[in-house]
Amino acid sequence: MTPFELAEPTSLAEAIALMGEGAGIGDNAARAIAGGTALMLMMKAGVFQPKRLVSLRRVEPRYAEIAATPEGGLRIGALATLTALERSAVVKQAAPVITQTLKTLSNVRVRNVATVGGALAHGDPHMDLPPLLTALGAQVRTVSPKGERTLAVGELYTGYYETALAENELITEVLVPPLAGLRVAYKKITTRAADDWPTLGLTVALQLNGGVVADARLVVSAATNTPTRLAAAEKILRGTTLDTATLARCGDAAVSEVELAGDAHGSSAYKRELLRVYTQRVLREIWGKS
Amino acid sequence: MTLSTAAVGRSIPRLEARAKVTGRAEYVHNMSVPGMLIAKVARSNVAHGRIRNIDVAAARALPGVFAVYTGEDIRKLIAEPYYGPAFHDQPILAIDKVRYAGEPVAVVLAADAHVAENAARLIEAQYEALPAVYDEVEAMTSKAVVHEVLKPAGTFADLKHLKDKRDTNVALDFHLRRGDLGRAFAAADHVFEHTFRTQQVLHLPLEPFATVAIVNGAGDDSLTLHSSTQSPSFVRTEIARLFGWTDNKVRVKVPYLGGGFGAKVYVKSEALAAACAMLAKRPVKFATTMEEQFYMITKHATTLRIKSGVMQDGKITARECEVWWNGGAYADIGPRVTQKSGFTAPGPYDIDNVHIDSYALYTNLPAAGALRGFGIPQLVWAYESHTDMIARELKIDPLTIRRKNILREGWPQATGTLMRDAALEKVLERLAQRMQWEKPFQRGSGTIKRGRGMAIGFKASISPTTSMAIVNLSADGSCALYSSTVDMGQGSDTIMAQMVSEVMGIPIEKITVVHPDTDVTPYDMATLGSRSTFHMGHAVKNAAEDARDKLLTLASEVGLSAETTPIPDIFKKKYGMLAGNIVGVGSFVPSYQSPDARGQTENATPFWMIGATGAEVEVDTETGEFKVTRLVNLVDVGKSINPAIVETQISGATVMQLGFTLQEQMNFSDGHVTNASLADYKIPGMRDIPPMENEAVDAEQKSGPFGAKGVGESGTFGVSPAVANAIDDAVGVRLTSLPLTAEAVYRGLREKAGKPLKDS
Amino acid sequence: MNITRTINFTLNGEPVTAQIATHQNLVEVLHERGLTGARESCAQGLCGCCTVLVNGAAVSGCLYLAAFADGAEVRTIEHSENGELDAVQAAFIETGAFQCGYCTPGMVLMTRQLLDAHAEPSEDEIKHYLSGNLCRCAAYPEIIKAVKLAAAKRKIERKGAK
Repeated sequence: MTPFELAEPTSLAEAIALMGEGAGIGDNAARAIAGGTALMLMMKAGVFQPKRLVSLRRVEPRYAEIAATPEGGLRIGALATLTALERSAVVKQAAPVITQTLKTLSNVRVRNVATVGGALAHGDPHMDLPPLLTALGAQVRTVSPKGERTLAVGELYTGYYETALAENELITEVLVPPLAGLRVAYKKITTRAADDWPTLGLTVALQLNGGVVADARLVVSAATNTPTRLAAAEKILRGTTLDTATLARCGDAAVSEVELAGDAHGSSAYKRELLRVYTQRVLREIWGKS
Repeated sequence: MTLSTAAVGRSIPRLEARAKVTGRAEYVHNMSVPGMLIAKVARSNVAHGRIRNIDVAAARALPGVFAVYTGEDIRKLIAEPYYGPAFHDQPILAIDKVRYAGEPVAVVLAADAHVAENAARLIEAQYEALPAVYDEVEAMTSKAVVHEVLKPAGTFADLKHLKDKRDTNVALDFHLRRGDLGRAFAAADHVFEHTFRTQQVLHLPLEPFATVAIVNGAGDDSLTLHSSTQSPSFVRTEIARLFGWTDNKVRVKVPYLGGGFGAKVYVKSEALAAACAMLAKRPVKFATTMEEQFYMITKHATTLRIKSGVMQDGKITARECEVWWNGGAYADIGPRVTQKSGFTAPGPYDIDNVHIDSYALYTNLPAAGALRGFGIPQLVWAYESHTDMIARELKIDPLTIRRKNILREGWPQATGTLMRDAALEKVLERLAQRMQWEKPFQRGSGTIKRGRGMAIGFKASISPTTSMAIVNLSADGSCALYSSTVDMGQGSDTIMAQMVSEVMGIPIEKITVVHPDTDVTPYDMATLGSRSTFHMGHAVKNAAEDARDKLLTLASEVGLSAETTPIPDIFKKKYGMLAGNIVGVGSFVPSYQSPDARGQTENATPFWMIGATGAEVEVDTETGEFKVTRLVNLVDVGKSINPAIVETQISGATVMQLGFTLQEQMNFSDGHVTNASLADYKIPGMRDIPPMENEAVDAEQKSGPFGAKGVGESGTFGVSPAVANAIDDAVGVRLTSLPLTAEAVYRGLREKAGKPLKDS
Repeated sequence: MNITRTINFTLNGEPVTAQIATHQNLVEVLHERGLTGARESCAQGLCGCCTVLVNGAAVSGCLYLAAFADGAEVRTIEHSENGELDAVQAAFIETGAFQCGYCTPGMVLMTRQLLDAHAEPSEDEIKHYLSGNLCRCAAYPEIIKAVKLAAAKRKIERKGAK
C-alpha cells in the first residue's frame, strides 16, 4: 500500500470537511474509512491510492445506534457494524430476514468491523444488503456540505460500483419501514463453494391480503449492475393467489425483463434458468408460510 | 536398554502439536533476519513476447528502493541462469522473452515491503507479441513454439534424446506397447472410445512460497537459504550448480511448511532470493503472496483419449490411451508425470493388449508440476469414467465389470511388473460392502434424484531414489534423528520418531527430530510422491537398527547386558561419566529397472498405492444443482504407523480432490489468470465438506518398514470419477470435463430432453 | 503529509507503545514485535490465518489498519493466562485437528469466540463461526470434533470452578 495521511475527526461534520473539493487535496484523493474491509482490498491491490483517509471511528457514537421506530420500523446508524446488526434484538424482532441474511454475509471477522454504511456505499453489486433493503423499501439519509437528503436504497445505485453519493457525502442512517405483514426472503444462490459471492441474488417481498397478493417486490442482484426490480413479474403477481400457472408466468416474466451477466459462476443463459426456477420456488416458500 | 510399549501403530499426537496450537511453530514466510531486504517482483503482462525494453527508472527513483534487477543483471552474476529438475529451461528472471503472463521480469529490493511493492508496480516493460499456444493438443502441432531449443538437465535418461531439439513443444513422449492391439480390437465384441479433459488447478498451501537468503561471511561465496521447500537436498545442489559452486557452499534450512502438496518441490522461490542476496550482498527475503502462487506452479490440465476393446461379458481385451499433459511454460517435473503416471493410464485392470502414448507439452501458461497424485487423479478420472460408460452401454453393473477386470495379486500390470502387496481386490470389495452396493438403492423423488458411483485407482511410487538418515544416541538415553524429510503437515516428524522409538525402545518424548539443514542432515531426494514413510522410513529404521546394534556391541564390550541395563549406565561404564554418543546411519535405495523401448520392465515401482471412492449424490433436476451426500474412501496404505494421522491424510486428500472436482478452476483470458485470489478461486471450506467415511483396509506392504507404505495421495484417486459416475447414475447425464458444475449437469439434462440450452 | 504516528495499546495484557506508518496493518506491527502467530495468507480476510482479537472481537489483522489498534486491547494466539494450554488448544491436540498448522491459530481463536457466545454449539453454529477460516489440509472433520470436545472440556471446567 502507498502511504497516506490518516485523519480521525471526532464529528461527522469535521469528517465531511476533510473530503471533497473543499478539502483542497484534489479529486478522489480523500475517502472515508469505517471498517475498511472493502477499502483495504482496493488499497492492497493498488487500485486505490489515497492521499488521505478520514476515519469515522471517533465520530459521534449515535451514528452507530440501532433502534426500533415507534411505527415498528428500524433506524440503523450507518456506523453500526454488521455484527451489531446481526445480533440486534430489535432487528430480529422487526425484520428477521435481515438477521438471517447476515449469517452468510462474508464471515464473522469481516462482520465484526464492516459497517452498514460501508456495505451500502461500496456499490458492489454482489452484496446482500442492497437488494434486501431495496425490497424492504428502506431509505438512506445522507449528509454532505450541501446538507442532508433522504433517498431510497433502490435509488442509491447508478451503475456497476457506482452510487448516487457525492465524493464527500456520507450515509448517516438507514431507515427500514415497518414490515407490517410483508413476507420477505433473500435467496443467495452460490454455484461453486457454499461460501462464495452469489451467482444470483433474489429477494422477494410479498404483501398478502385475504389470501391474495396485495403487493409484490422482486429484486434480482449479483448478475446485474445494480439491484434490479422485476416490475413485470411483480405486476403478474398482484391480485393473484400464486397458483402454479401464475408462478410459471411470473418466472418467465422475470427472465424476459432483465439482462443477466454471465461470469465464472455461470453463463447468462444458465442464470436465466436459475432465476426462472428460484423465482417460483421462493414465492412458493413464502406462500407456504401463510 | 529397556523396551517401552510399542510405538508403531499408535495414534500419538504430533510432536509439534503444542507449537502449532500456540502459534509458535516456525515458518519461513513469517521469518525475518537483521538487515533483511524484501524482494517484490514485477511480472509479465503478455503470455508470449520478446522483451523490447524494461523501464525500471521510476522504480529505482522511489525513495527507499535499494536496487532493481532484471534478467540482464542476473546474467552478470550467473552466465546461464536457468534451472529445473528435468530441463534447464526456467530463467531466474525472464531473459530475451517471456513465455507466460505472470512471469517475473524484474525484482525490486527495499527494506520496507510496501516500498518494494509500490516500486514493482512502477516497472513497465515493452514486448513484441509472439503467437501463443494454450491448449495441450494444439501444442503438438502449433506454430507457436514456447522454447526454441530444448535443454534437458541430464538427470533423466529418457530425456537425453531431446537435447538441442528445435521447434517442438513436446518435452517428453512416452510410449508403452504390450500385446497385439490391432488384433485385439478386431476380435473385440465392442469398441468404445471417449475423450476426457481436466482443468488447470493449483496447490495453494496457506503458507505461500518463501526463501530468506543470507550471504555468509566475508568471502561472499556461500549462502544460507531458509526455505519453504519440500526438497532441501535438490535446492542445495541446484543453487550450487547455478553459481558454479560445490554443494558445501549452499546451506538449506527448512522449518515447518504451511502446506506443500507438491508445490514446493525443486526450485521455486530459492533461485531469485539467492541471486538477489548475492547481487545486493544483503539478506533477502522473497515471499510470494497468495495471488503470486497462481504464477508459480500448478497442476496439469489434460486431454485424455481412451479406446477399449471389450467382450460381451465385459472383459476388456484391448486399450489404447493417449494423454496430453499441459505443462505450461516450464517443464518443472512434468516429463516425469508423463512417464511415471503415464504407464498406469490403462487403469488397475488386467488387459493383455495395451498401447499408451503420453506427451508432456509446453504451452504459454503458468508451469505445471507435481500436485498430490502426480497425474494419477487425471488418469483415474478418465479410465474410471470410461469404465462406467462401458458398463452402462453393456448393461453390466459397475461393480461387476470392475470385479471382472481388476488386476489380482501376482498378475502383470501394463509394464509387465507384477502386482505385489497391492490390495486392489480388497479395497474394491470393502468399498462395495460399505456402500451396500448389492442392496437396493433409494433413487429419490420429485425433482430430487439420487445416484451413486464408484471408482478405483492406483499409483506407482518413486524410483530410482535415495534416502539417508542418522540416529544420534546421547549418553543419557535420549536421541536425535537427522533426516531431510520435510514435515509440511503430513506428520513425518511424528511417524519417523515412532519408528526410532520402536526400534530403539526409547520413549517418543526422548526423541528429537532435527529439521532439514543440509549442513547437518543427510541427503534425501525430496518429500514427495508419498515416498517418505516407505523410503525414508527404511533409512530411519536402518539408522536406528545400526545405533541399536552399536549399543549392543558397546554393552557387551563393557560386560553389561543391553537388555537389562539402562542406557546411561552403559555409557558411564565405557566413558567413566555421562559422555559420548552412538551414531547410527542408514540409507535406502529401492531396486528398480528402467523400462525398455516398449515401456516394459520387471520392476517399475517399489510399491503400489491403492485408493477408491464411493459417492452418493442428489441432483436437482430443475437446476442441475447437486449435492454429494456421502463419500466413502478406501485405501491400501499397508500397516498404519499412526492411524489418526493416516485418517487425516485420507480425508485431507479426498477433500482437496473434491475441490478440484467441483469448485476449483484457474480461469484464463488470453493466457492471463482472471481469478488469482481466494475470493474468486474457491477452495473447499467447512460448509463444502460432505459426510465422509475413511478406511485403510487391513493390509501389509511386506517390503515396507513395519509393513507400511505411503498414504498422502491415495485419497485423491477415485473422487472425481466416483462423483461423475453417481451423477450419471442419478440423471443419466455423463460429464467428461472437470470441474463438474451444476450448469454442466443442467445443460446435460436439457440436451437429454432434446431442448439444449441456447446461449443467446 | 504525516504518515507515521505513535500508538498505545494493550498487547496480550501488557501496555505497549509502537511507532507505526499509517498504511501498516495490524499483522505487520505484530510481526515487528516478534509475534507471528497471526500471519497473512490470502490477504483478503477470507482464510482467517491472520485472526487477532481487538477489544474481544475477532478481526482479520491483514485488513485492519494498525492505527485503529490505538487505545485497544489486542490479544493474539500467543496470549496465555498462565502459560498453560486452554481447553480449546488441548482439544485441538487431542483430536488431531490440524496438519500443517498454518491456519491453526486462527481456528483456535475463532473457536474461543464461538464457545464464548455458544457454550454448547450446534453443528450450524460451529459452521457459522468457522466457515470463514480455511484449512487447505482440510482437517475440517477433526476441527469440528475439536470444537465439540473443547465445549465439553469447558463445561467440566465450569463445574469444577463452582
